[in-house]
Amino acid sequence: MRERLAAAAPWLARLARLTPRLPAQIAGGASLLCFVIWAITGAGSFWPAWVWISCALIIGLMVAWRWSRLAPPGPRRDLETQAAFSIVVWVYTVLNWAVGGGGSFWPVWVLIGFGIAFAVRLEWLRRQGADLRPNRERELTARVETLTETRRGALDVQAAELRRIERDLHDGAQARLVALSMQLGRAEEGLADRPEIAALVRQARAEATAANAELRDLARGIAPPVLSDRGLAAAVEALGTRSPVPVAVDAQLGRRAAPVVESAAYFVVAESLTNVAKHAPGARAEVTIREAGDTLDVVVADDGPGGADLTAGGGLDGLRRRVAALDGAFELASPAGEGTRIEVRLPCGS
Amino acid sequence: MRVVIAEDSLLLREGLVALLREHEVEVVAQAENGEGLLRIVGGHKPDLAIVDVRLPPTFTDEGIRAAVEARRRHPGLGVLILSQYVEPVYTAELLAGGEGGVGYLLKERVGDIPAFLDAIRRVAGGGTALDREVVAELVGERRNAPENPIDALSPREREVLSLMAEGRTNNAIAETLVVTPGAVEKHVSNIFGKLNLSAAGDDHRRVLAVLAFLRATDGG
Repeated sequence: MRERLAAAAPWLARLARLTPRLPAQIAGGASLLCFVIWAITGAGSFWPAWVWISCALIIGLMVAWRWSRLAPPGPRRDLETQAAFSIVVWVYTVLNWAVGGGGSFWPVWVLIGFGIAFAVRLEWLRRQGADLRPNRERELTARVETLTETRRGALDVQAAELRRIERDLHDGAQARLVALSMQLGRAEEGLADRPEIAALVRQARAEATAANAELRDLARGIAPPVLSDRGLAAAVEALGTRSPVPVAVDAQLGRRAAPVVESAAYFVVAESLTNVAKHAPGARAEVTIREAGDTLDVVVADDGPGGADLTAGGGLDGLRRRVAALDGAFELASPAGEGTRIEVRLPCGS
Repeated sequence: MRVVIAEDSLLLREGLVALLREHEVEVVAQAENGEGLLRIVGGHKPDLAIVDVRLPPTFTDEGIRAAVEARRRHPGLGVLILSQYVEPVYTAELLAGGEGGVGYLLKERVGDIPAFLDAIRRVAGGGTALDREVVAELVGERRNAPENPIDALSPREREVLSLMAEGRTNNAIAETLVVTPGAVEKHVSNIFGKLNLSAAGDDHRRVLAVLAFLRATDGG
């Protein structure tokens, strides 16, 4: 939703980001409450409008303040702050005029007043020789914010799409193959007196079973069922249980992360444990997963021979890139003779 | 034998019902979700419930949760899970709670009708029927784990162990491996000796002992 907004109307999305959440919720609640009271008490003159525009003024001033603080301190910021506050207050006076029943358009005088104040300040700053060029830094910050949000959005959409494909396979092709196996089984039974045809049917059933097995492997590669069903901690426990080397798993997670983050963390552990089994068969491994503020920390360590490296195109490099796509940090420490330690930090986003 | 079915796919439910009716297994009720399963199990007191793992509304592990709950409420009820995938975690949960037969098979195994009917009868009779993929996850690929007692078993004994873990009787194992029942008995007592398990009890207890052992050695 937010990603779509960011793509369609970036300025609107920025405005939404600048709105302080709690005050906006309180103001919204109060506005609604006033409306309800007005409706219950017989709907006389529409006084809740006054409450609404007052709330709008407060939120507007907060947004203006937060917007102005995005820029580095300096004369240009001071000037912009003044302009932003003037605009908010003037919009408020216009609303006041409208709610108050119109009449002669007195807010125009307020506008002229603000305009003069702004012009005087501008001229004064000019004479002092202040640098008033537009601020590149703020534009870049805004751009980075938008890019981060849209990229994350694209990844989330991709993860959701993959899970949908998995579900479609499960309910569609796989279910049909199972039904096919059943029917072939029943046909086979009816062919007891024609053993050569029964053998053909049995072969056909074996093909259906093999096709289903391939689809199952495909689905598991997308998202193992236990990860979707039970979450990261349970899925990683299951990985530890399955691994041919002894693994101690310590995963304490309060809430579920976004699917894309869960999948990344899961495949980090899965790939790392596969590597341990392959390159350090006599080793023991430890998996630790922790929530730390807004990040998810994953550590896989073993006491094997070490010496792992990030060969381009290799499994570890694939993990590194997967983590990087989420703006995460990937660290590999594998000195010869001292085991291997992979540390990954993934931002969970909000 | 009286059976209830919980499966949300109409295609599979109808196929299963037709197949069972052809073989004089009475399907007394059907459900499409976990709550429905608990209701029909309570109402019809069947010998066996055949349950799909993914059921509405969550389409995750609803079926497993409902099956575990049904077993808790109705001791002695046999539960056979049918699924598109094997998940050892779920097998462990089913085996952990309650008495009564337990089975976990991949859905496509239904196509092998004699074997499927055999599994149904075993589970309804209080026995066990585990898919060979579940067993393979438990038995196989552990050669790297240090000091795994399974390493002490001969390849033939390992085969017998796997078939035992699937829930087969000595006679069925003998038939599968084309040896005499006496030879199987000898393998079994060797296995129990090497794994330090007490060999007493009926078939079902024997399976549970084997599975408990396999889980305990899981991952070292």
